[in-house]
Amino acid sequence: MPMQGGFKRKSKVASEIPDSSLADIAFLLLIFFMVTTVFRKESPREIEQPEAAATQQVDEKRKNILHLWVERNGQVFINDALVPMDAISGLTQQLYEETDRQLVVAIRSDREVPYGTINQITEELRDGGALRVNFATNFEERVGAARR
Amino acid sequence: MAILKKKTKVSDKIPTSSMADIAFLLLIFFLVTTVFDEEIGLQVVLPERGPEAEQEVSPKNLLFYLVQPDGSVIVRRGESPGEQRITGRQVEGVMRQALADNPNVIGVVQTHPQARYEHMIAVLDGIQSAGATRFSLQLLEG
Repeated sequence: MPMQGGFKRKSKVASEIPDSSLADIAFLLLIFFMVTTVFRKESPREIEQPEAAATQQVDEKRKNILHLWVERNGQVFINDALVPMDAISGLTQQLYEETDRQLVVAIRSDREVPYGTINQITEELRDGGALRVNFATNFEERVGAARR
Repeated sequence: MAILKKKTKVSDKIPTSSMADIAFLLLIFFLVTTVFDEEIGLQVVLPERGPEAEQEVSPKNLLFYLVQPDGSVIVRRGESPGEQRITGRQVEGVMRQALADNPNVIGVVQTHPQARYEHMIAVLDGIQSAGATRFSLQLLEG
């Protein structure tokens, strides 16, 4: 469109948004998330956890949580290693002191394990002084029950 | 030499305009596919070893849940000889009623060694769902 009697003045300010640094920003974010992501050390086990409506989230730092896996046949695994029953107390006691007495032992047991085995484990944990225990369960939606 | 340098029409720069799209695509892909492993369950603090941890409790404040190998639960009140057989699902209601009658009540879960773990969890779930904070986990003898 012709302007009335005037010259169109060219602006010296670039009209385009500078997008050359966009890639840098995106890669920076990508690298940030790659570096800060902590992968699970343990390989997942074939365990069917019990369900409970009162399931709550554990309020403890991840590094202070020790997973103790109990398979259906009653074998106990810590950090992918088979641990004999009488070695649990020594192992947890050491970790309990290393974590400044903040250790939470998360018992991830199969639902069909006999309770006698679980009781042996909790007694071992008491021997080791690790008293904070989490029985890992899946959240159960119960009809008519209000979620706390 | 009289050869003129011919200007090529193909750009010698790598096109970087789509680089950001690629990077964001990767970013979004990993954001979406990442699954956080949250730690959930029923939390319990075990009693300490040693005589100083033991407490005298009046039998009338005790409510026993005897978990049988088949998963049924026998409820026995501290001082009364009467028994009641319930399912794991009914524990919450029983515990709520007991707490309403006596706020000092302690749920004592005695589980048979052959009973499955999930049966004990069902009773513990009922007790915690009812809002009770005082309970005891024991092995059912005999």
